Amino acid sequence: MLRRIVLHEWRVLSADATVWVVTAAFAVSIGYGVWNGVRWTRFQHGAIAEAHAEEAARYDRIAAQLIDLQSGGKVSPFADPRSPSVFAGRLGPRYASLPPAPLAPLAIGQSDLLPYYFKVSTDARENIVSTTEIENPARLLAGRFDLAFVVVFLYPLLILAVTYNMVSAEKEQGTLPMVLSQPIALGTLTTGKVALRASIVIGLVVVFSAVASILTGVLADGGAFARFLLWMAAVAAYGLFWFALAAWVTSLGRNSTTNATILASAWLVLVVMTPSVFNLIVTAVYPVPSRVEMVQAMRDASDEANKAGAAALARYYDDHPELATGDPAQAMNDFNILRVAVNDDVERRVRPVVQRYEERIAAQQRLIDRLRFLSPAILMQNALNDVAGTGTDRHRHFLAQVDDFHRQWRAHFVPMIFAKASVGSVESVPRFEFREETDATIAQRVMTAIIGLVVPGVLFALLGLRRLQRFPIVG
Amino acid sequence: MIDTGVDPYLGVAVWMEAHKQNEFKFRPAQDRTAVQRFGEMTGAEVLQVLLPLFIVLMAFAAFAGEREHGTLRQLLATGVSRRDLALGKAAGIAAAIGIVLIPAAVMAIAAFVLSSSGGLLAADPARIVLLAVVYVLYFAIVIATALAISARAKSSRVALVTLLTFWFANSLVATRAVSDLAAWLYPTPSAIEFQKALDADLNDAKEMERRLNLRRAELFDRYQVNTVDALPIAFSGISMQEGEEHGNEVFDKHYGALFAQYARQDRVTQFVGLLAPMLAVRTLSMGLAGTDVAQHRDFATAAEAYRRDIQRVMNGDIAANQKKGQVYLADHTLWAKVPEFEYTAPPASWVLTNHAIALAVLVGWLVASTIVMFSSAKGATAD
Repeated sequence: MLRRIVLHEWRVLSADATVWVVTAAFAVSIGYGVWNGVRWTRFQHGAIAEAHAEEAARYDRIAAQLIDLQSGGKVSPFADPRSPSVFAGRLGPRYASLPPAPLAPLAIGQSDLLPYYFKVSTDARENIVSTTEIENPARLLAGRFDLAFVVVFLYPLLILAVTYNMVSAEKEQGTLPMVLSQPIALGTLTTGKVALRASIVIGLVVVFSAVASILTGVLADGGAFARFLLWMAAVAAYGLFWFALAAWVTSLGRNSTTNATILASAWLVLVVMTPSVFNLIVTAVYPVPSRVEMVQAMRDASDEANKAGAAALARYYDDHPELATGDPAQAMNDFNILRVAVNDDVERRVRPVVQRYEERIAAQQRLIDRLRFLSPAILMQNALNDVAGTGTDRHRHFLAQVDDFHRQWRAHFVPMIFAKASVGSVESVPRFEFREETDATIAQRVMTAIIGLVVPGVLFALLGLRRLQRFPIVG
Repeated sequence: MIDTGVDPYLGVAVWMEAHKQNEFKFRPAQDRTAVQRFGEMTGAEVLQVLLPLFIVLMAFAAFAGEREHGTLRQLLATGVSRRDLALGKAAGIAAAIGIVLIPAAVMAIAAFVLSSSGGLLAADPARIVLLAVVYVLYFAIVIATALAISARAKSSRVALVTLLTFWFANSLVATRAVSDLAAWLYPTPSAIEFQKALDADLNDAKEMERRLNLRRAELFDRYQVNTVDALPIAFSGISMQEGEEHGNEVFDKHYGALFAQYARQDRVTQFVGLLAPMLAVRTLSMGLAGTDVAQHRDFATAAEAYRRDIQRVMNGDIAANQKKGQVYLADHTLWAKVPEFEYTAPPASWVLTNHAIALAVLVGWLVASTIVMFSSAKGATAD
């Protein structure tokens, strides 16, 4: 019976010209969104390649210079690549880059705002991680027209447009009593109508996302395929939520105009207003002070650290007694050693200030993580960013690795500076390799969001089915 | 602030140092959660996004609904002209929003003036007045468009769906769609490419050599000497300043090109305002609130000019005082000569000329939508 309803509905729907127009417009939106995402990912790949090419060329020059110096060449002590201080501080910094994840074109997320490569040197951490990509601020404000935008904003509207009058129109045209005079329950009829529409709309998004991923050539990768399944699951869960909501509103038995008004208001509240209001709430509850304060703290710290240079050096030797070669008087005169000590001291002084920022941001995130269950749009945005690897979590994961690499970099060069060793070759210089988050971590985060969407969805569906039994078929 | 504009996406601090022009760093938006990207419930967002929706909901049934209920025929039977009917309906909707908005606006302005936290808006009354005018024009456009569609639509349902689609495309889709379009038409370089091109020009030794030779010859000519040592001033100060001038030219060229590209992107946005009036309103609103890219640029230029002044004072001092073979250290009186950094925001008229396209688009929309409203009302059938 369900099959016959679906087939009949298909005949009715496909005869409606507006359905085709709307579907075409939706398909164009998806295409434009994917195209923008692909262009952005290419841009990022290009910038990262450019950075590594610059590094490689620099390393080639240094290697050639080292050979030249070995055979008696001359160079100013400030530009001598053999000096570990000059090398690790200015000549030989390496890039630590965050490559776009396989499905990055599907959601630009925070990737246009958060920096994705850093030049790591012996400089203080805060100076290293403060670089940003060049971007028109007006564009950052507007946001991108990517597939995630189409999915989060447009997709529910399309769902509401095809469902708001699925039963009420039949009632208004007077065909509903005729249909129900057949041996068929209203619940079955509505389920069939929803099932057809759900498979068309959800299918449309999934198929287009798949086409996009194939076009970008990422689905060949085994890991990418697992991510894509997650993407599909999230899209399906979000769609189910809206279909269930529409089914429940349908079951209230109002006329088409009222249904449309209720559903459009629900969309406005859940997708547009709630996220903005939550944003207001979290920034009001945990305001992050202006970074001007941090910059000021860093300046003060570096002034003080420079002033207390000798003291800082003494403290450094306290912390690293193994590096005290027994000739501190000579070492103290050594500008390079002092620089290491000062950098270290600046970091130590600035750390508590930086930590305050990090704690505030973490507190905002924790609050949003709880509040997001009240807005399917936020849940969906988070899930899509996670799957695409353009969210805040993967970026934090990257930053932690950059911190590690920065420490590793110093651990490699600082003893050389203290021991007055010289850089012989560029072979042994540490290299940054980004370790991707495990699929399990991502799956867990995305599944949480999916459950957050499915639970209210099922609830609305059940309420709707029960309510349909009391549906006023006439009058 | 009514309109925070691009502020959350601009760096808040810029290092003022010798020899180098730096980028503004630390965008506040980087310190927020991803939910930020859904938008902020600023006054501007309420006025630009939510209010037009309320207008649409009030206006969609104005003609179409009356026609369905049969009251349109009755109304027209009283002899009222269709033109007056349209005007009356528009006035009714305007009064309804006015009742809410006018007290809110008065309170907001009072709060600005009293709390002195209103910034640019409170400091310049012309900006407040113009901002109010821009929003009144915008609401007039939305009302006229909504009434025109209501008069033409077959049924109130069609009117509602058409208007909601217009609202959605205008206030939520247009900004994003156009930002990507503009960046595709006028791309900007990645930070690394930008730096590479900048460094290549900065380290252009030949150009530096040419400039120094020119300057040296000029000084030799002026003081009638033929060695650097014979000059009555220290050439090291001169050559350092020459290095700065070279750097300044390079920075001006590259940063100038970058901001010119942003301005072109912004022009695309203003022109697409022909399709979505909200884009023109957004541009003007940010401009008048002083939170657009152009005014950030104005401030950055002032800061940069200040840096160059400091540099000139320092190098001039070196040129005048350094003796050969000595290390010259100035005392604090030198720094006392450097003036404090002062910045005055450009006047409202500057903003309007800057966004002339947006202003023209807005006025064009008003004229066109009013004409269409009257013609649609004239053509509206009673049943």
